[in-house]
Amino acid sequence: MIEGKWYAEGSAASHAARLSVHGNEYKLEVENGTSYEGALRELHVGNRLGNVERKIILADGSLFATRNNDAVDIAFKNQLKTNRLIHTLESKYRWVFIALIVTVLTAFAFFKWGVPWTSKKIAHALPEKTNQVIAANTLDFLDDYMFKKTTVSTDKMEKIRKHFHAKIVPLSTENKEIVYKLHFRSWSDGNLSIPNALALPSGDIILTDKFVELCESQDEMDSVLLHEMGHVVHRHTLEMVIEGTFVSVAVMLIVGDSNGLVDMGVGLGSLLVSSSYSRGHESEADMYAFKHMLTAHIDPVSFSHIMNRMTKYMAGQTSSKKKESKENKEQHKEVKESKGSLLDYLSSHPNTKKRVDIAKQFSECYKKGLRTCDIKMSE
Amino acid sequence: MKALNFEGRGSEYFKIWIVNVLLVIITVGLYYPWAKVRNHRYFYGNTTLEGRNFEYHATGKQLFLGFLVAMILFIVYMVIQKISPEGSLLILLILFIAIPWLIWRSLKFSMRMTSFSNVRFGFNGTLKASYINFFLLPMLFFLAIYAVPIGAAVLVPKLSAETDIPSWASIVIPIAALFITMMAFYMYALIKKRNASYVVNGSRYGQGIFETKLETKKFMGILFKTILLSSVIFGILFLLIGAVVYGTVGVEGIMEIKNSMEDPEAVRKNIGPLMPLIISVYGGMILGGMFILSYAITRQRTYIYENTTLDEKITFASTLKAKSLAWVMITNFILVILTLGLAFPWAKVRLARLMVENTLVDTESGFYDYVTQKQNEESSLGEQIGDAFDVDVGLGF
Repeated sequence: MIEGKWYAEGSAASHAARLSVHGNEYKLEVENGTSYEGALRELHVGNRLGNVERKIILADGSLFATRNNDAVDIAFKNQLKTNRLIHTLESKYRWVFIALIVTVLTAFAFFKWGVPWTSKKIAHALPEKTNQVIAANTLDFLDDYMFKKTTVSTDKMEKIRKHFHAKIVPLSTENKEIVYKLHFRSWSDGNLSIPNALALPSGDIILTDKFVELCESQDEMDSVLLHEMGHVVHRHTLEMVIEGTFVSVAVMLIVGDSNGLVDMGVGLGSLLVSSSYSRGHESEADMYAFKHMLTAHIDPVSFSHIMNRMTKYMAGQTSSKKKESKENKEQHKEVKESKGSLLDYLSSHPNTKKRVDIAKQFSECYKKGLRTCDIKMSE
Repeated sequence: MKALNFEGRGSEYFKIWIVNVLLVIITVGLYYPWAKVRNHRYFYGNTTLEGRNFEYHATGKQLFLGFLVAMILFIVYMVIQKISPEGSLLILLILFIAIPWLIWRSLKFSMRMTSFSNVRFGFNGTLKASYINFFLLPMLFFLAIYAVPIGAAVLVPKLSAETDIPSWASIVIPIAALFITMMAFYMYALIKKRNASYVVNGSRYGQGIFETKLETKKFMGILFKTILLSSVIFGILFLLIGAVVYGTVGVEGIMEIKNSMEDPEAVRKNIGPLMPLIISVYGGMILGGMFILSYAITRQRTYIYENTTLDEKITFASTLKAKSLAWVMITNFILVILTLGLAFPWAKVRLARLMVENTLVDTESGFYDYVTQKQNEESSLGEQIGDAFDVDVGLGF
């Protein structure tokens, strides 16, 4: 006997009712005198969800509602096969525990390996044209909002370009479709001119004036150019776009209808994840540069020289604005080992110290006259 | 007056939630519509009044097509946003224009899919009214708030360039600025009022008609009090932070950090010891912000509920207090952060319980006469797109 309430179709008025089930037959008696009888399969039973009141719809559209979920499950066991699976998962702590572990592990593996791997596959499956499309207006945009005209002399630019196309571009044998092009721009923030090199997916590489100025040797410049070519060859911009899309969609699906507060935590999480991808890309571009430097007989230590000089320049520039003090003298020394601080995880570039260390390891190989070098990258 | 009951439990919902998440993951997202239905059903079904409960009737199958379209649009949006600044502006513009339609479709679909005591809700608001309330008026509002700084930026240098400033200008300009600011306040309150009226007055319960008579000046009062409260809270917060910073780091320390912003290594070095301070500043801002938000939400909720009737005989009230809402929101936030998201189900249940159990309904005349009205089938497309892009009526109840 299952106690409950009966509602006429579409009516809010409820009447006490009781349902009894014998084998495949049912009988429903409503307190107002109405009664129903018939085969069990004429009734439509809703799926169980926790202990929410169960709704059973009769053939005439009227409704029997009861809180006695367990009795309904037993009486209608033949009709509720698919729902039983989900309800079993939801009601046994053992399954919930397994679901929890599987969810956490899958989520971790998904973000750690799944997203980068899939993005790489997709990025490389797309035609070269895609890179042209996504880079189409980028340089114009940067020219409008960030860069100014270069002050590097035409002679010097010609010299750099000539060397680049004669010696460096031929090293890149992976993708002959890429057309590399060097651009020179001045980039400053306030009074501080910024040394940097950027690669657009189209193969356009932009060198800032300060960067050109800071390079003390051809090898140093080549090392950075190879690093940028590494970004282009590995299609890192495209990968970032795909990775970002994956993360946003995954987050939307899992968190779903959240409120603003949860979104903040999720935002921080996404930032951590995407910085981690970005660091992976930088390391990959470094490796690309080092390998090709070995082939071209360039000492990989050049990369660490220019990296150190750029870091020192930035530290020196920013600290010269303030009074000379003890701390900033320390900053003028070699780049110090920075402690594994929380900020490392937010940074889009690997720790300079780590990159320099790897450059030095490659340099060891170079000095031994090796053409390849087996070095484990660690995050 | 009887309070609604919430019978859901955090531990029970946790199990449902984790199974949902698992199934969404292993089906690469395709299970999402069914997961959404189960979530909704859990919260609706556990909301009861005198033993009668709410029910969510949409099925996963019904949501699926709309979900696929919404997903594709969302992916296109994400990709364009990352590769083209012009493209993402265009999409934002399209979204801005589409919002009233999305809200209208969402309301129609969600109301149609909700029942209480076997009788369906409905929504009768028009698309035209949605465009006035969610597009035209907000646009005028933005124009009004931008008119002040832009007007000042244009007029002030122009006037100071002239040798003899007309004497009337020094009187007229501040008055005009004040007038425009007051207009902006008025517009904001008007929009809140009209949005709430649009949703409530458009709602149906069976043949029953919800009705609310709201006044703009009440919303202005709430707005002024909220602004006053924010200035007090943030004022105290900044004084406190100022005192702590002055006492520990000093002005020179701050300048040093400011100057070394461009260099990541130096930032790392200087900011390291300041981390606890920075975290507490952010923490204070978040807590303060949450309290202010709770205040605004509860005041509006109380006002709207008190002035709402169903068929002029069933009345409503809200006993939600800013303090308790802020408390639940803040502790939820901390709970979810500390458990890396695993406490999300408990957080959701706690918030739902607070909201539901502070909703009062006068049940004396009863619900016996209400009967479901014939309604057209609604497509879930608008609702799903709105869901994907987080489009919200923004009333907080």
